[in-house]
Parts: sequence; C-alpha cells; structure tokens
Amino acid sequence: MSSRSFRRSALLGAGLAAALAVGAGAVAHQSGDGGAPRLTVADPYIPLPATPGGTGAGYLTVRNSGGADTLVSVSSPAAGSVTMHRSTDSTMEQVDRMDVPAGGTLDLSRGGAHLMIMDWTRQPALGDELELDLQFAKAGRVVVRVPVKPLTYRPGS
Amino acid sequence: MAPLPRPRPRLLTAAALVLGASLALSACASSGDGGESTGAAKVSKKASTSRYQGTVLSKNFEKPDLVLNDTSGQPYDLRARTAGKSVLLFFGYTSCPDVCPTTMGDIGVAMSKLTAEQRAKLAVVFVSTDPERDTPQVLRTWLDSMGKDFVGMTGDLAKVKAAARPLGIAVEDPVVDAKGAVTSTHGAQVLAFLPTDDKAHLLYMAGSSIDVYKHDLELMADGVAV
Repeated sequence: MSSRSFRRSALLGAGLAAALAVGAGAVAHQSGDGGAPRLTVADPYIPLPATPGGTGAGYLTVRNSGGADTLVSVSSPAAGSVTMHRSTDSTMEQVDRMDVPAGGTLDLSRGGAHLMIMDWTRQPALGDELELDLQFAKAGRVVVRVPVKPLTYRPGS
Repeated sequence: MAPLPRPRPRLLTAAALVLGASLALSACASSGDGGESTGAAKVSKKASTSRYQGTVLSKNFEKPDLVLNDTSGQPYDLRARTAGKSVLLFFGYTSCPDVCPTTMGDIGVAMSKLTAEQRAKLAVVFVSTDPERDTPQVLRTWLDSMGKDFVGMTGDLAKVKAAARPLGIAVEDPVVDAKGAVTSTHGAQVLAFLPTDDKAHLLYMAGSSIDVYKHDLELMADGVAV
C-alpha cells in the first residue's frame, strides 16, 4: 500500500513539474536540506461538497525554493476537523505529516494527497473564501485564503 | 480542459490507458479470481482496433444480480431495470471527500455534454459501500449534485460485497474513527456494461478524464461495439 502511494505521489509531482515547464530534475537541486524553507502556496481550492455541509476536500500546491520542510497539521476557523489523507487504489489513509522536499513541491490534488474537512462551522457556499492554517515543522504557520469552487473544478480550467 | 495532466492512480493505470487493453489483466490483477481470462493475445488485438478509450476488459463480467433500494426507497433490480442500456457502475460512499465525488462529478459533467437522446440510452449507477449512513435520502441529495438522473442503490452490505467481488472490486466494512470520520475501502474503478450482452466490457480507473468519459459515453449511446 505505501509503495503504491509513493509511486503515485512521485508521478503527481513529476506531472506537475512538467506542466509548469520546470524540469523535474531541475527543481530538486536548488538548495540543500539544511537551508531555511521558502514556501509559497499555489492554486488552493475547496470543491463544493456534494452533500451540502458534508465532508469536503481541500487541495493546494506548496512550492518550496528553500530547504526541506514538513506539513505537520492543518486547521481552519471554518471547520472543526481538518485532517491529512492520501487516497490509494481502493481506500484512503490518514497521514500525520506530508513532506515538502527541498526545492520541490508538495501537491495535494484529486485522487492523491488531500485534506479532509468535516464539521463546518457553517455550510460552505460557492464563492466563499475560507481560511486554512497550515502548520509546517520549520516555516511555522502559513495562513491561506481558499476559495470554494464548483464540485468538478480543477486549477486552470 | 486544463492543460495539466490528470493524476493517474498508479503507473500501471497510466500505462494501461495509453497502451489500451494489453494491460487490462494488470488492472484487474487484484481481483483474486483471476486465471479465467480469455487470453491476452486475443485481447491485445481487440484493443488495438477499439474506438473506446477506456481499458478493454479481457474478462467480461456478468452484470451483478443485485436488488437493493433505490433513492426513493423502493426495490431496484439492477439487471431488470438497466436491461437494454449501457451502464456505468461505481461503488463508493457519500462521506468520501476525494475519489467518489471526483469520479461521479466527472461522469456527471460528461453526461451533461450529451443530448437527452444519448443520455436515455445510458444509466449511471452508484452502489453505496456505507449503507448504514447512506440512506436513500442521503444518497439522493449527494447524487443530485452530480447527476439528477443518476441511480443510487443502498441496502444490505453483504449483498454489495457479494456483487462487487466477482467484478474484482473489493468492498470492506466501513471504519468510523473517534471523530466520526468514515473510511470505506472500495475499488475505485468504474465498469461499463454494454447492452449487447449485459456484460462488462470496459474499465475506467480513478482519474479518467471527463473527455475520456464523454468520448466513450457517446460511443455507447451510438451502440458501438468494443
């Protein structure tokens, strides 16, 4: 199971890097693991849950032009529970950390690593912007404003 | 469509979709009832000429003999009610945040691009792997976000497991954690049954694009053979 997950995340990473016209080999060398991470968050979104107020997902990409870091938790004033998961071929498993490689990306996208959001403080609606607080081991707290998008939305579409 | 390549659930899947059905056996290798394929050579030949973009199945599973409640709470006999139509069949659960709404949502978008006449020849059926929480009403609300005419089936989980197993789709009891989060293990592939023999002929792994579904649903509506 874990080796499958690893293969998938490797594939996703490679796909994203290619789409950004950044060679997958070129992004990994910038700085050693010892440097401070330099993180930016791109394309965050929450698809409108299929059941109004029901279990939702959160997707985003963390880009790192510095040293390695780790996403250790996520919370939100908009929801009672935000947990980190990884979909596998037949189920999803909760994870307690997600690595952000030095000079690389952490990609949370459909069918792979994602956030699971439950216990909304109020039912999310299209056009809402909700706050996600990402807690990284080294970079600390990064606050992201995340738009609620249509159920089938994908970045770039 | 977005220029970003769609994520594939695993390398095998990406390869299978690119190469066609020569790898169909790999996609079903976890079924546990393998060894009854009709022969890889024959399948490869078939795949090279298929107009379909889904993975052509080497083993044409029977449509499950499954009767559960539909979303109005009435018994729904899958074989009887979908006879004469092409059927997309998916097993999942409504508190699934990622793969289930993505798959059903993408099929919904693909269906919305077809004419009413084309849609009338197709049925999209979702079978709940978490019937305890997925009541007919819960299921209807969830499905309506993706397709008002999607069929939802829910009921005895033992029957669901028995229906899924011969299709190579593993379904296990849902697990509920301390926070109330539900996790259900269910194969995430979509199977397409064709009306010519009411057997499964095509498989779509999680991550298949809207364009692939639209392309193949149009062929199914036109009665194109695999």
